[in-house]
Amino acid sequence: MEAGNPLLDDYVLRATGRERPRVCFLPSASGDADHYIVRFYQAFSADRCEPSHISLFRRGGASGWREHLLSQDLIYVGGGSVISLLGVWQAHGIDAVMREAWERGIVLSGVSAGSLCWFAEGITGFHGTPERYTGLGLLGCSNTVHYESESGREDAYRLALRGGMRPGYAASDGVGLHFAGGRLLRAVSSRPDARAFRMRTVRGRVIRSALRVSFLGDAVPAPAPPTRLAALPRAA
Amino acid sequence: MREERRRILAMGGGGFTTSVSDAPLEHYAASLPAVAEPAICLLPTAGGDADEQIDRFHRAFRGLGRLSHLSLFRLGTHPVDPREHLLAQDVIYVGGGSLANLLAIWRVHGLDETLREAWERGIVLCGVSAGSMCWFEHGITRSHGRSRPAAGLGLLPGSNSVHHGSDPDRRACYAEAVLDGLPPGYAVDDGVGLLFAGTELVEVVSAREGARAHRIEADGGRLVETPVLPRLLDPAPAAGRDAPVEIAEFREARRRREAGSRRARPV
Repeated sequence: MEAGNPLLDDYVLRATGRERPRVCFLPSASGDADHYIVRFYQAFSADRCEPSHISLFRRGGASGWREHLLSQDLIYVGGGSVISLLGVWQAHGIDAVMREAWERGIVLSGVSAGSLCWFAEGITGFHGTPERYTGLGLLGCSNTVHYESESGREDAYRLALRGGMRPGYAASDGVGLHFAGGRLLRAVSSRPDARAFRMRTVRGRVIRSALRVSFLGDAVPAPAPPTRLAALPRAA
Repeated sequence: MREERRRILAMGGGGFTTSVSDAPLEHYAASLPAVAEPAICLLPTAGGDADEQIDRFHRAFRGLGRLSHLSLFRLGTHPVDPREHLLAQDVIYVGGGSLANLLAIWRVHGLDETLREAWERGIVLCGVSAGSMCWFEHGITRSHGRSRPAAGLGLLPGSNSVHHGSDPDRRACYAEAVLDGLPPGYAVDDGVGLLFAGTELVEVVSAREGARAHRIEADGGRLVETPVLPRLLDPAPAAGRDAPVEIAEFREARRRREAGSRRARPV
């Protein structure tokens, strides 16, 4: 949902393999911020998909999240505080529903916190000083986002990796990491200069390897229809 | 005997987030620290830090102290140490919304411990709706749709339900839960506050005539509901000062009209 740049939104809609996918937005990480919900409906407009959202902060909200989420083609998670997001989802049992959705082949996607949440662990910088978080673990590796736009992330991630954090992926703004099952299928971007890295330790040293990132503004072959397509976490 | 300095004001509903003005209750909350200009901080977590709740808080409490709000969802753009900020307050006011979300978010941020520490230090904890139930062992939440019991922070023993006169679904759920073994407690109407010193209820106050609290307990399979009549608070000074100008003028005109018609009545 980058302002004026629909490349990643288009990509994730195509990844569902459906003409008019059912897309549900979860803005939980921002406390269901109204402006964010509005932006979602503008980006994922009713002429190209069937959009909806789930608000966990409205009193007396309908129960039945599970049925609604499991009937979607794409679940899109908004950014904000990944720690608050995971706490709130756990309170409502949505963490378990997400795993079920993933196993059923529903495309899971999201930005910032909506990327971090799918991984086993990683680094979040939302609250100021970068800190470690534990995620849902659908993907067994680690993640950090806003890698080059926010200071301190790289140092914190390297420190964590040396301290035993699982290897994983660092993405700068505008990058989408497309996973099928637990494996990275490809890295795509909405910006020609966006970068992503595989991060791991070898004998105590952090090795950073640049991933090949396909800029979506160039002609890119459409993603194959989903077989067991899973998470599409991305940073923006 | 050590003087009890721990205080909690648990309000059953109403207040600045609704259209009815419960200004006397807000003034009462601000007066509890007995300092000239209390530092009053809003925790709008239960509502997801909605702008509207924050704006209304600032308007309702304007002039009553040094105001601030702590937004856990905006720490990215407004970084602050939550513990440090909260422990510097005289009053911490918790806004309403989803009790389940409130507790979940506080716990992942360690605020449950910070708030207990604030309580022990004599900082007044208060709040409305979810911000009332959170202090007790149990509340009745609608976070999941229909009403159901939920565990709170347990600073205060027993249970608490809110919006007693205006939410029949919650009222019925509370009755059933207590009959089923939920520890007894208080069901509170909109506009009413329970003041606890330590864990002892010391006063019940109300901004609305006719509103009250109810002691709810089970006795041999029967529900016993005992009304607790509150002390009616004086109208807030300069009533309508925080209302939009048109409403203040309307109230003033109505007041003059009513005063005029009283004078015209034969003695």
